[in-house]
Amino acid sequence: MFPYAFRIAARSIVHEKWINLLSILTMAAGLLFTSIIILSVYNIDVATKRLPEKFSMMLYLNDNLSQEELKNIMNTARKDGAVETVKYISKDEALKELEISLKDIKYVLDGLGENPLADSIEVKLKNEAVRPETAKRLAAKFRGLEGIGGIEYGEKFLSSIYSIEVGMKTIGIIFIMIMSAGMIFVCYSTVKILFYRKNQEIETYKLLGAKKGFIRAPFIIEGAVIGLGAGLLSFIGILSLYYATIFRLSLTIPLFKAIVFPTDIAIFLPLVGLIIGMVGGAIAIGRIKY
Amino acid sequence: MYHSSINFLLFTFHFSLNIMIHFHDVSKHYNNQTAIRKITFSIEKGEMVFLTGPSGSGKTTLLKLTYLAEKPDEGNISVAGWEINKLKESKIPLLRRNIGVVFQDFRLLYNRDVFENVGLALRIRGVGDKELKTRVFDALKLVNLRHRSDSYPGSLSGGEQQKVAIARAIVAEPLIILADEPTGNVDPDTSAGIIRTFKDINARGATILIATHDRELFRNTGRRLLRLDNGDLVGEEIA
Repeated sequence: MFPYAFRIAARSIVHEKWINLLSILTMAAGLLFTSIIILSVYNIDVATKRLPEKFSMMLYLNDNLSQEELKNIMNTARKDGAVETVKYISKDEALKELEISLKDIKYVLDGLGENPLADSIEVKLKNEAVRPETAKRLAAKFRGLEGIGGIEYGEKFLSSIYSIEVGMKTIGIIFIMIMSAGMIFVCYSTVKILFYRKNQEIETYKLLGAKKGFIRAPFIIEGAVIGLGAGLLSFIGILSLYYATIFRLSLTIPLFKAIVFPTDIAIFLPLVGLIIGMVGGAIAIGRIKY
Repeated sequence: MYHSSINFLLFTFHFSLNIMIHFHDVSKHYNNQTAIRKITFSIEKGEMVFLTGPSGSGKTTLLKLTYLAEKPDEGNISVAGWEINKLKESKIPLLRRNIGVVFQDFRLLYNRDVFENVGLALRIRGVGDKELKTRVFDALKLVNLRHRSDSYPGSLSGGEQQKVAIARAIVAEPLIILADEPTGNVDPDTSAGIIRTFKDINARGATILIATHDRELFRNTGRRLLRLDNGDLVGEEIA
């Protein structure tokens, strides 16, 4: 039965090539947009996961701080469950680091005379604790301590990154759901049109004693082929788009070089297309009544 | 008493073994119009029976009820041992595989050639390519259309299309063959040829019911004739 069903499906695909091609292109566009959204969400997720490694809170200490006060601040920081490490950086060490980072233009510091930097404590948070609310809570706690002149931790940056992450995830999920429904509908409509066109043929099948599987198989195969075609096309599309971004756009905007392309996820695109196509086809045929 | 009961049972057993089509008090209505009214008849295994009557007398409805394209509103029907009233939907294809139908409008697939059209009846039954080829050519030979196997139905005459429909109905060697006006579009010579084909198939053991309003078709055939008029079975005789 299956070789015959494949033959019938192949014949129908060739015979109705324009409508099938249109469906493949529409679905491929849908899958491509969905992939772009997934790629964006994935990259933001990767970026926010790397963030905790680089994230630290700097507590700038007042001049003439007593050893007692310094010890108190260090202990308070160490005792907090969200804190991973606490490191004291003297103003001399800070100046050396600054000189290293300024490299060729360190002469700008020459005119300063006295070291203008303050002693500081670098507080690194545990990876899972790097959230805007934790950082805010710790900052409030440290502000209440004697001897701290200022706190810096990129509050706005942290908040906006997390807002973007949450926003992108929500938009991504909604978009994926809408696009999936849309793509199933495209496949549904195509198969339904073919199903209506072949209504007489299907009636003849039924009257000759065909079982439901015999009638359904070519349509589901046709849906699968449309979906697979769209999946492959969108895979090629997203791959081309990625390399165009990496090799061309990154010359103008270097940030694009950091984009990560999840090949193992993208390889599922044809499979996703295939499944969507089969689901659309199966829904279009619906219940066969004798 | 004892002997009569045994005889009754034997008769019932023999009856149920030999009856291919049985209608009991069957009625069918369409939008308050009666197509068939309380019809009772039986056709035995291996019989070739003609069903006649004017247009609109209920011939097509009776055939449709037999291959379950329609369901009866009243009465009981049994076909090839299957009680149609109790038949589950999933079993309908299996029942239909016991019946070869020559439809009034042929129901040929115009995007497939003659070979594919005839072979469809076997594909549905899961027959493999090699066996299918032999059987399709045998069936086409029987209706003298072996030379047109590559043609598409659209390029055939009405009579040739009718023969393709007959070949498709007989190719799977079903127990029953139903033919709805099988000579409706053909000249008298072709018509006689078609009836000869049915006789050949009948001689091989198939039960045949032919609906026709063409009296020439059954005149002096010596076959049983059922007369329908306005939905009633008005007579049963030997032609």
